[in-house]
Amino acid sequence: MTAQDIVTRIQQKLAGDGITWRATTVDTFKAGRPDTPVRGVATTGMATFDVLRRASAAGRNFVVTHEPTFYNHLDQTDALAGDPTYLAKLRFIEDQGLVVWRFHDHAHMLRPDPLVAGSARVLGWTPYASPAERGIYVLPPTTLRALAADVARHVNGRAIRVCGDPGMKVTRVALGPGYGVPPLTQAVDVSIGGEAPESGGHAEYAMDAQALGRPRGVILLGHMMSEDWGMREVADWLRAFVTDVPIEWVPAGEPFGRR
Amino acid sequence: MTSRPSRRAFLLGTAAAVIAANRRGSAQAQSSTPTAGQIVDRIREKAGVPWRETSIDGFKAGGADAIVTGIATTVVATADVLRRAAAAGRNLVIAQEPTFYTANEDGGNRAGDAVFVAKKALVDERHLVVWRFSDHWNARKPSEPVGALANALGWSAYRQADGDASYKVPEMRLDALLEHVRTRLRVRGGMRWIGRPDMTVRTVLLSPGGTDLASTVARMPRADVIIAGEPREWEAVPYVLDAGVQKAIVAVGRIVSLEPSAAACAAWIRSFTPELPVEAMAVGDPYWNPLS
Repeated sequence: MTAQDIVTRIQQKLAGDGITWRATTVDTFKAGRPDTPVRGVATTGMATFDVLRRASAAGRNFVVTHEPTFYNHLDQTDALAGDPTYLAKLRFIEDQGLVVWRFHDHAHMLRPDPLVAGSARVLGWTPYASPAERGIYVLPPTTLRALAADVARHVNGRAIRVCGDPGMKVTRVALGPGYGVPPLTQAVDVSIGGEAPESGGHAEYAMDAQALGRPRGVILLGHMMSEDWGMREVADWLRAFVTDVPIEWVPAGEPFGRR
Repeated sequence: MTSRPSRRAFLLGTAAAVIAANRRGSAQAQSSTPTAGQIVDRIREKAGVPWRETSIDGFKAGGADAIVTGIATTVVATADVLRRAAAAGRNLVIAQEPTFYTANEDGGNRAGDAVFVAKKALVDERHLVVWRFSDHWNARKPSEPVGALANALGWSAYRQADGDASYKVPEMRLDALLEHVRTRLRVRGGMRWIGRPDMTVRTVLLSPGGTDLASTVARMPRADVIIAGEPREWEAVPYVLDAGVQKAIVAVGRIVSLEPSAAACAAWIRSFTPELPVEAMAVGDPYWNPLS
């Protein structure tokens, strides 16, 4: 079974679930040969150099990554042409016979979105999912301070940032994937996701909400701490219809604050 | 032979001088209470960069006709900044980032949201004018945000000749640099970093605000660490992670990284607006860390 065979099987599975393959998508091969026989599959939030080394060492030569391999959304390599970091990574992929394929756009089209469901599962919130509103979790009443500490403990992130009054009451939480942190409104108490611009209605809204007497909060987990867990869900999903090879989740992990 | 002015010419000349003097007087009277539009004209004239036909810079609340009693510069015109500005009589707020949470300042599905509505009301009730000044301020050369960040870090003297964002600082360990940055920029919870704490740092790239991949790739091979504001975590962050143990990145947050730039902007405006108080108003690090 080649990497291309597995991709074809994924496309067939999606088609069977009513998800049409997009004409324009970043879900393409990024490096390596699609006709490479697959010994094992590694799913990951991001195919960092470290993930590639671990996948290769474990014999998982087909890496399914949610985020880019070459540091930009479209994995364009023009700006990287003579760059030593890029060249070393590319050479490693080729030397080790790895194949890297991105599973981003269509992963987010699954229901539930595994990138959100993965975070919810690690947070222990699966039972709190609102039946009526996608991405909304109705938690037992808590405070932003207690919630943030609980979240940090569960995802085991080292660089979690919170904006908002620590004492504010929380029950309705919007959970989004990666850069898709739900923009704050009064409709929820707290918005949680990976990373967000400080000019898009997250931290600035939370600051204003507190100043204007309608406190709301934002919790930013970091991009990998938000989406890595979801690729564990994708590994589970793949195992149901790709039974010929071992499939393993190889998390990219928390990049920040390493010591 | 030198012709002497006729009496008539002399009188005419005197009248012209009197009229000119009156004009200057009225201009002075006018400039002591300039309108927001006049301040903007002055900024456009002094900016030293071509004014763009399409730009995010412009009035976001209030208008050009408002009489200005004082100016506040800030990274973000938060509700708190707007209140402080109003209390201090700085009714023209010059902001680098959006005021109403989106680039086009349009409420969108937030138009009826209580915070959006309350912020609009705050601006209206205090008769504040908000003017955004980002595209053109950031286009000035050498880079104002970079120079201001360097100054805030005490590194202005270390600027490299070969690039306006590269600084050769006294040799220090990464962990010492992190502490220096945290203290100088008053980072509360937002600072995140990648690298070996014991690595030696000499060459620092300053990248306040956003950090694009192309400039990172072009400069990072000659640098040890990037001090960034808001690098994307699928771009510069994993690039540095993959570059190995000799490289580091510190992300302090967009707002924190741009506060020195807003202060520099106040000083710059003050240099040609002597008749008005001009004050920088800090937003502060929006974040706290649940683990500390």
